[in-house]
Amino acid sequence: MTAVLTPFIAPAQTGGLTVGLRQTGAFTKRSLLGRLRQPASLAPSFVFPLFFAALSSSSFSRTTALANFPADSFLAFSVAGAILQGVLFGSTAAASDLAVDIEQGFWERMIASPVSRTSIVLGRLASSFVIGMVQSAVFLTVFRLFGVHVKSGLLGVIGIVGGGGLIGLAISGLLSSFAIRSGSSEAVQGVFPLTFILLFLSSAFFPREYMSGWYRSVADINPMSHIVEGLRSFIVEPASAGAFARAWGIPLVIAAASISLALLALQKRLRAS
Amino acid sequence: MSDSPIIAQGLVRHFGSEANRVKAVDGVDLEVKAGEIFGFLGPNGAGKSTTVRMLTTLLSLTGGSAKVAGYDVTTQADQVRRSIGVALQDAAIDPLMTGRELLKLQAVMYGLPKAQHLKRGEELLERVGLTGAADRRVGTYSGGMRRRLDLALSLIHQPTVLFLDEPTTGLDPMSRLSLWEEVRRLNTEGTTVLLTTQYLEEADQLADRIAIIDHGKIVCEGVPRELKAAVGAPTLLISVPDVSAAEARHILANFGDLRPTPEGSLGVGLVSGAEAVPNVIRALDDAGIRVQHLELNEPSLDDVFAEATGYRLEGAAGNAPEATTAPARGRKRGKAGR
Repeated sequence: MTAVLTPFIAPAQTGGLTVGLRQTGAFTKRSLLGRLRQPASLAPSFVFPLFFAALSSSSFSRTTALANFPADSFLAFSVAGAILQGVLFGSTAAASDLAVDIEQGFWERMIASPVSRTSIVLGRLASSFVIGMVQSAVFLTVFRLFGVHVKSGLLGVIGIVGGGGLIGLAISGLLSSFAIRSGSSEAVQGVFPLTFILLFLSSAFFPREYMSGWYRSVADINPMSHIVEGLRSFIVEPASAGAFARAWGIPLVIAAASISLALLALQKRLRAS
Repeated sequence: MSDSPIIAQGLVRHFGSEANRVKAVDGVDLEVKAGEIFGFLGPNGAGKSTTVRMLTTLLSLTGGSAKVAGYDVTTQADQVRRSIGVALQDAAIDPLMTGRELLKLQAVMYGLPKAQHLKRGEELLERVGLTGAADRRVGTYSGGMRRRLDLALSLIHQPTVLFLDEPTTGLDPMSRLSLWEEVRRLNTEGTTVLLTTQYLEEADQLADRIAIIDHGKIVCEGVPRELKAAVGAPTLLISVPDVSAAEARHILANFGDLRPTPEGSLGVGLVSGAEAVPNVIRALDDAGIRVQHLELNEPSLDDVFAEATGYRLEGAAGNAPEATTAPARGRKRGKAGR
């Protein structure tokens, strides 16, 4: 312990858009590093969706012979569901990390500084966006190795990867608002199955055309059905504005609402202390 | 108007609902002068950390007011945060990041320009002896290394006021000494330090002035040397067989005030000083009481603490007042000037 510190004057203002963006970037980087350095936490978001896809494509391959089945192969049909499932897993981890920050006190380190409070939350959410895009790209690559082609070409790849990122943003916004309110990673993990139920009550794993009764009714109004069908249409047909509207538009609207909820939860938490 | 870097008046903080209210801090007045190391001493749950959290803007005030570095903690919280360094009790350091990465992040949080924080980060790493471990993940650090990193993080923006909340709790003696040395050095460089501690020795070694807090109230405040002198008489501690304890207590009372003591011993503040020891022994011997252990202690901060609170801090591992033995003499608020 010998060094002499060089005196300097700390900046008088730490606010402003540039500083806020820099702080958001720094928190995004921290969040991404945290994910990469815990490969075990990333693994389920790849392993389970691929396992489900492999299982269902081998079990239900003959369903493609049904009239109006929306894909050439069940594997091609499964891509969108696998991406949605994987991104759901990844987004939960990001929200859970936010709750861990609160539980373990890193949150207080941040709050004790003059850092932009919004950047703390936006940094986490931005990392979910990046992870969602990376996951989508990885899934596309893996499915490509097994012979799945994106019929809408590069535009479709952009649609799927961007859509994956937006879904990550939307879901992690929703779960982050819960993480900030509860301050408990266990509570966040507890909410996760609800999002999974929503996934199973959608057309992620089976076409709506072949559903009936209340299951069909729920799937019809379930936004996940429309998102996954938007993503799927990039795989099975040429790119269209409708596909972008469903794969990007719906997650964008949900993201806007969920980020607002997360920021409201942040304000509430800050006021409560 | 005082220009002291920390001024608190009537600080109050309640927790819980109306029906189940807990007064964690109950009217704390505090003034820490520029360039001081101020020790905030008390057992767990006494209100030390809550007070620090209010002064560092982490908790809102239920009542009272406080200014830190010249700024009001309620209305000018952002300016307060920019002026202070905070190392909290449960040093929360992301175990997945390296020391260097955390310093960079901390610098960004304080809005420091890149060129400035890179240089300062390296200086701080060298200063706390972590240059060699800077690129290792914090999860691999020892407790002492984490605390030193925590200190470095709190200094990244060169604060004028530093809050250290139980900085050495859980550290080994060497790490503790090393941290004390660094705190002293920071202080000689002009940083005002408020440190909370439950270690009497730490307060004695480091603090220019101390305040003892108990049940949310400051019960004693002053310069350690003067506070100890105010306690006056040295304490004679004896151990006797349990059957003789009541009679021994009666005899000891003839030589001065009975004092709170650890379990299994009796203590008396000898009004005539150490010279009275032979007389005490003789009186006990005449009564047929066998003395198993005897020690004479000059007044310590523990005596000051006991005098002020009616129980002892040392040996009270659980730190709840109920956990200590206390033939209490009632509370009294002492105050010694600087």
